[in-house]
Amino acid sequence: MSEDLLVDPQTLREQVRDKYREVAVDPHRTFHFHTGRHLAARLGYERDAVDALPDRAVESFAGVGNPFSLRRLEPGERVVDVGSGAGFDSFIAADQVTDTGRVVGVDMTQEMLTKSRETAAALGYTHVEFREGLAESLPVEDGWADAVVSNGVINLCADKQAVFTDIRRVLEPGGWLQFADIANGRPVPPEALRDIDLWTG
Amino acid sequence: MLEDIGFVDVQIGPAADTFGGATGEEKARAFEVYGYAFLARNPG
Repeated sequence: MSEDLLVDPQTLREQVRDKYREVAVDPHRTFHFHTGRHLAARLGYERDAVDALPDRAVESFAGVGNPFSLRRLEPGERVVDVGSGAGFDSFIAADQVTDTGRVVGVDMTQEMLTKSRETAAALGYTHVEFREGLAESLPVEDGWADAVVSNGVINLCADKQAVFTDIRRVLEPGGWLQFADIANGRPVPPEALRDIDLWTG
Repeated sequence: MLEDIGFVDVQIGPAADTFGGATGEEKARAFEVYGYAFLARNPG
């Protein structure tokens, strides 16, 4: 592990997988964060777009903001969703880019990938696919994307510089990074920053 | 960090009370944790 990193990336990944596996298979239990349609409304997602999605596409949504609030995607754009989870933001993106565009969701949790793929099939979305991979090494070719979206994922990555560097790699020149994440207004004590259990809850 | 990596035209949206009413609210309030939307462009 790099001396610059606060926690071990692989250990953190395992903890994140454990947490979000639960969100995939048991989304209605109580977590330390909100989930589902209530959360989407709280974060200002367009109601019509959310209402159009089936419950299974929304119930495991656990984002922290609205990555489409500062820029709406355009029809025909190619989009990568980093940490796509059960696919909620990928499906919102798919509606915005229409079937002339393309969306690739990337996630490392098998239960999330299974759920998002089954939902895409149920919706008949042929312009959305979900790939297994890590935010630090996206399974996407150089310069492919017009836009990269992400929601509440990068704060859960130990090496944020590696994540942003790989996002730049997959973006075409002039492409957009639009993501939502948490930030703290008060400093967190150094010992807390190195407490891996606090990263996921 | 975004600008250090080479992104330009960075914008940050207003704070969202992501954890309000959730069981994680107390911890979030302690460190003023909110959700934000970020927008940045890969230079052409």
